[in-house]
Amino acid sequence: MRNPWARTGNYKTSYAQDTTIFATYSEQASLVVFLIGMLVLPRFLIRGDMQILDLILIYALAVLGLNIITGYAGLINIGHAAFMGVGAYTAALVAPHLPFWAVLPVSGLVAAVAGAVVGIPALRIKHLYLAIATLAFQLIFEWAVGHSPALEQGGAMAMPRTVFLGYEVGFKNHHYFWYYVTFAVLVLLAFAFRNLLRTRFGRSLVAVRDNDRAADAMGMDPGRTKVFAFALGAFYAGVAGALYAYWSRAVVIEDYSLMISIKFLAMAIVGGLGTLVGGFFGPAFLELLDINMETFSYWIKEIYNPPGVDVGSAIRPLAFGLAIVLFLIFEPRGLANWWRLLRSYFRNWPFKY
Amino acid sequence: MKNKWTLWALVAVLGLGFATAEKVHIMWSGAITGPTSDAGKYYAQGIEDYCSWANDTGYVAGVEFVCETRDDQYNNANTLRNFEEAVDRGDPVFLGYSTGGTLQLKPLVQEVGVPFIPASYHIGNIDPPDNDYVFLPIASYSEQVIAVLEYIAKVAPGAKVAMAIHPSPFGRAPVEDAKKAAAELGIQIVEVQEMAKGLDYTATLKRFENKGVQYIVYQNVAGPVANMIKDAKRLGLKIKHAGAHYAGGPDLLRLAGDAAEGFLWVTAYYMPHEDNAAAKFVKELGAKYGRPADAIESVHYPSGMLAAGIAIEAIKMAKAAGQKISPESTYEALLKMNWANKLAVGPVTYSKDDHVGVDQLRVLEAQKGTFVPVTEPFSSALFRKVHYGK
Repeated sequence: MRNPWARTGNYKTSYAQDTTIFATYSEQASLVVFLIGMLVLPRFLIRGDMQILDLILIYALAVLGLNIITGYAGLINIGHAAFMGVGAYTAALVAPHLPFWAVLPVSGLVAAVAGAVVGIPALRIKHLYLAIATLAFQLIFEWAVGHSPALEQGGAMAMPRTVFLGYEVGFKNHHYFWYYVTFAVLVLLAFAFRNLLRTRFGRSLVAVRDNDRAADAMGMDPGRTKVFAFALGAFYAGVAGALYAYWSRAVVIEDYSLMISIKFLAMAIVGGLGTLVGGFFGPAFLELLDINMETFSYWIKEIYNPPGVDVGSAIRPLAFGLAIVLFLIFEPRGLANWWRLLRSYFRNWPFKY
Repeated sequence: MKNKWTLWALVAVLGLGFATAEKVHIMWSGAITGPTSDAGKYYAQGIEDYCSWANDTGYVAGVEFVCETRDDQYNNANTLRNFEEAVDRGDPVFLGYSTGGTLQLKPLVQEVGVPFIPASYHIGNIDPPDNDYVFLPIASYSEQVIAVLEYIAKVAPGAKVAMAIHPSPFGRAPVEDAKKAAAELGIQIVEVQEMAKGLDYTATLKRFENKGVQYIVYQNVAGPVANMIKDAKRLGLKIKHAGAHYAGGPDLLRLAGDAAEGFLWVTAYYMPHEDNAAAKFVKELGAKYGRPADAIESVHYPSGMLAAGIAIEAIKMAKAAGQKISPESTYEALLKMNWANKLAVGPVTYSKDDHVGVDQLRVLEAQKGTFVPVTEPFSSALFRKVHYGK
């Protein structure tokens, strides 16, 4: 091709081209611009904004893990926050003895082991029954933590202050520091996620999701694939849990409850199940929606506050529920599909097709 | 002539400057929606109304309070965001809410040194580590449960007691102290049962009956407690019921109806139906700011007022001492506080070693649809011994 930068369509002519991580040069260039933009972004944000941004990135990491389990392997998981919790509690236990950069993979690995154990029922059951099995894990996790004196029975386990290159991370720079750490981890694991689909295992995931009997007939091992999907998804959640523990400075059971598991599912659906970008869009959309609805609810309270009905307060949870329902009805492929359409439009521009 | 006008303008500007009150922000972050919002919404209203009253009456000369009640939906990440916003703004004090949120924020509260007054009376909030800046408005859940055990030991020596607790750090907080206190008091805690959100507690209650339980002591919120005591009434059990602050109150009466008759409840707050200055004050404020009867009769409304009152009183003390209003001066004022407030059965007192505001409690009994005090205000005789070993 004479000018690859000006390519307006899909001109792949070989299998190797079809499996490249980035389809076009413009895609690579836009990624570089995006990464640079993200690196300089903290210069333009106040500390409070950084706090929200950190939370979005941490949740994005957890939702990427959920996307492996539910989006790619098709295994409904309503215990994902428990995997995150396993990572967080591991972090709380090992953080006094290890530097933070070692705590993150250790937490991920412990969560992966938990994920593999939870994945074992997936060898025999699926659909709603598997969902209930993951729910059972969530409840067992909450019960086990609640009855473990070593884990403060679900009360707070404080995280030690982080020291990096002799520099102690304090209140003023806490969110800036953890932004860069989380961002680096997220880029690394998102890259691994993207690569995953180019591997034999990645393709097995999709095959098992679409029809596990057919996948079995094709020589794949559906059982091992499912267990490995749980382990890998839990690894992502475990790392996210460790990051959340550092970010929030303490580990409390409420941060890893069933409600958070449901929130992750909502994020995955709104973002777009089975997509990489959906893992970013979902958390960003729902977190920013919540914050904006909070501001909106205060405004509503000021102008319309009838006695007996707290309209302002009700608007916030209503918006969360409404967003999920509307996406399920009108755009079940989530925001990732809008992103795909947008990219397609600009790739073909000025032509329609 | 020109100079004369300039002089007048200068005087006017200076005058306006002196007349403008200093705005002091106080933020509360709690559940107006989501779990426990039945308590949180009235707690928030109590804070808002006490602040409005302080502003309307000029309670702290030269200060206008801007009280923000933020709905964190019982989500710790939202609580953290709100707290950090308050710290960044330089708020002199922060009003918190949940047990989990407070426990999670403790290391940060310690780091930034902003006084923190939660609605959770979990003893872990003021136990080491990181406990310098957290102040409980009233005695802890642990002390409340021990106080009711002391009462039970007095009226039914050697009684068999079961504890029914919320399955969380909030519920579990008093268990160990209660067991130690029971041993000292010569009563038996025969079982500690965590109460899930069940709608039928028949099996649990029949087991309690078989074990000869005479009293069930609850550390929970009113909803599950109401379900259990209604089941006990339906089963015709002779077991008596008692509970700590969030287990009882007018909310329980509303939810459980006549099944609540005889329920023993421990709290430090006066009730709105009582004939005293506290009840009059609460009702006046509720009426003045257009609150519904449910809010005024709820114990969470004066609870919010007391929390806001402690913060405002500390700021008043700091101002009276000629200090700039800041977290540091508010903290220093809190450590010297001895406030004869209108809302609780005892004064709010703090010191470096004592971060419990109102040390006294009362036991009230549900009689014909209202809670009637059956004791004078008292402090638990055993709490310090079993918890601190002194």
